[in-house]
Amino acid sequence: MADVAIGIEGATKRFGSVTAVDRVNLEIEQGEFFALLGPSGSGKTTLLRIIAGLEVPDEGRVLINGEDVTHLPPYARRVGMVFQDFLLFPHKTVGENITFPLKMQGENKAHQAERLDWIIKLLRIDGLEKRYPSQLSGGQQQRVALARGLISRPVLLLLDEPLANLDRELRKEMEIEVRRYQIELGIPFVYVTHNQEEALTMSDRVAVMREGQFDQIAPKLDIYTKPATPFVASFVGHSNRIDARIGSIGGGLARIDWNGLPLIVPCPADAGDGDNILYFVKCEHIQIQPDGSSAAGSNDNQLAGTLRDVIFKGQTADYIVVLENETEITVSDASGVPQVKAGDRVILSWPAEAGNCFSAQRD
Amino acid sequence: MSARNRFSNFLYRPGARFALLAVPGVLFVVLFLLIPIIAILVFSFWRTESYELHADWNINNYAEVLGDGSYMVFLLRSFWTALIVSVVCLVYSWPVAYFIAKLGGKYRLLLIIALAAPFFTGIILRLAALQAIMGPLGLINMLMMDLGMAPIQLIMYTKFATGIGLFYLYAPFMVVAIYLSLLNFDFRLLAVAKVNGAKPWRAFLEITWPLNWAGTAIGFVLVFIPCLASSVTPHFLGGANGALFGLVLGEQFAETGTWAKGSAMGVILFLASFIVILIMWRTVNLRRSGFTGAGM
Repeated sequence: MADVAIGIEGATKRFGSVTAVDRVNLEIEQGEFFALLGPSGSGKTTLLRIIAGLEVPDEGRVLINGEDVTHLPPYARRVGMVFQDFLLFPHKTVGENITFPLKMQGENKAHQAERLDWIIKLLRIDGLEKRYPSQLSGGQQQRVALARGLISRPVLLLLDEPLANLDRELRKEMEIEVRRYQIELGIPFVYVTHNQEEALTMSDRVAVMREGQFDQIAPKLDIYTKPATPFVASFVGHSNRIDARIGSIGGGLARIDWNGLPLIVPCPADAGDGDNILYFVKCEHIQIQPDGSSAAGSNDNQLAGTLRDVIFKGQTADYIVVLENETEITVSDASGVPQVKAGDRVILSWPAEAGNCFSAQRD
Repeated sequence: MSARNRFSNFLYRPGARFALLAVPGVLFVVLFLLIPIIAILVFSFWRTESYELHADWNINNYAEVLGDGSYMVFLLRSFWTALIVSVVCLVYSWPVAYFIAKLGGKYRLLLIIALAAPFFTGIILRLAALQAIMGPLGLINMLMMDLGMAPIQLIMYTKFATGIGLFYLYAPFMVVAIYLSLLNFDFRLLAVAKVNGAKPWRAFLEITWPLNWAGTAIGFVLVFIPCLASSVTPHFLGGANGALFGLVLGEQFAETGTWAKGSAMGVILFLASFIVILIMWRTVNLRRSGFTGAGM
């Protein structure tokens, strides 16, 4: 690819006996919003710090715009970075914080003022230049941190959980704004987060990371609808996990037996009769109806159960249903249609093609 | 109502608990700071005759101390000694404190205690130990003679020896002051500076130094003030030509019995110290120090 902005080749980083990043390969394109998604301790922040030059990999190479920067110190990389705790310089005013990268590059005052003017208008923080970071709200501090990361027109921007410390409303607003800045500036953003919603809202592509390696790198829709591994399936979105054994296979579908309940699911390519499988079906793909309703008729899988609890979440509600085999399934519904209450008999149904099925790893 | 109830009722009256808590501190300041300073101030305007203080008010003590060139020589010498020792302490203490704070890890406390170990004994004993090292027949000269070299005459009983002694006595204060400041310093800010284009030395000047200047200034004052007033150290190490203001001041009380003049010297020393603290305070901008507890 001619348009590769960041190339990582076989990067490995160990801390003592822990391998934080394990032989990772990655290519991020120009103008791409790329999310590194993973639970804490998965190595995503270490990988980001390797790109920034704050960590030197034990093995492997890092390329920025085709140039090998593996052993280049951070101050020579022209990379912008936004940190989780904002990390503004407390002894400098907002204006001084934002123009810091320009000052380090030896830009003259007039040019600094001109750039400052541009960035505070873009991020809508004009009027705060003379204040100190401790006089700002969390959201304002986050914008100042973003402005500092962007003012010198870096070749790429690294973001390390930048919204984790903001309250929910503000986070939603900032997710959209950060995406807007990325499109406006046209440089690649690499965004580290453990929050799948953030990753899915903002990014073009997502890499799901676990134990120092990638489980899957794919466009965000594929990450959500076609998870490559059971880990991705359970980590992204809200799914019900079903451990079962294949009865018979036919037409790309498999009949499985789940603790005595029959289901039809997509058959994993490498599975045969009698194999154990892991099946994930997203909570929102399951329909719930009162017992005796006929609407479920067209779906392949139909299970009867008793509604144990309804958790109202605003836009959606979660229904927790106990099935006849004593297991629980969670259903998300946004329609508000199911007129059921705890203790009612209900019918759950979903099409056979819904959900993702994997061969269980053989011992 | 029982006495106990009455006491607990008193405790719940507004201001009562505040007053009780404030008493020890106020007593301390009044007894050990305010009264001695006022006494010295009063004595400095009195007259001593035959080892006795007479309360006839005059300013002759000040005229004598400020008019006689030799006292001013002692004061200036004390000032330069204190300044040089403080600057040397500062240059020495920064890397030591930085090392302990940044790389000390679980040995931090141990290293700081080791640094403060000399404080477990008295000042006289420590100065005597210095004499044993630097004296005419001390460790250094014995070693040099054993190696067939001529002994050094110059170290002991010079202003330089006083300087070494003061550095030895007060450097730990500076190290601890800077160390405590660095403990509260967020080293992640250095990574931020570097990603934003700052070379290591630039990051130090832009971030580390200004954010730790308040602690450094406190360390500077903690070294400078006792050095300015030092009397025991020049007495033991300074020799005949190394007398400092504090030493001469002490003599007014101990040997010549001129209490009133000694008091006047004390007031002058106090004012000089106060001016230095004031100057240092002017360099600390609480906002610029990153200090967030100023309520501004």
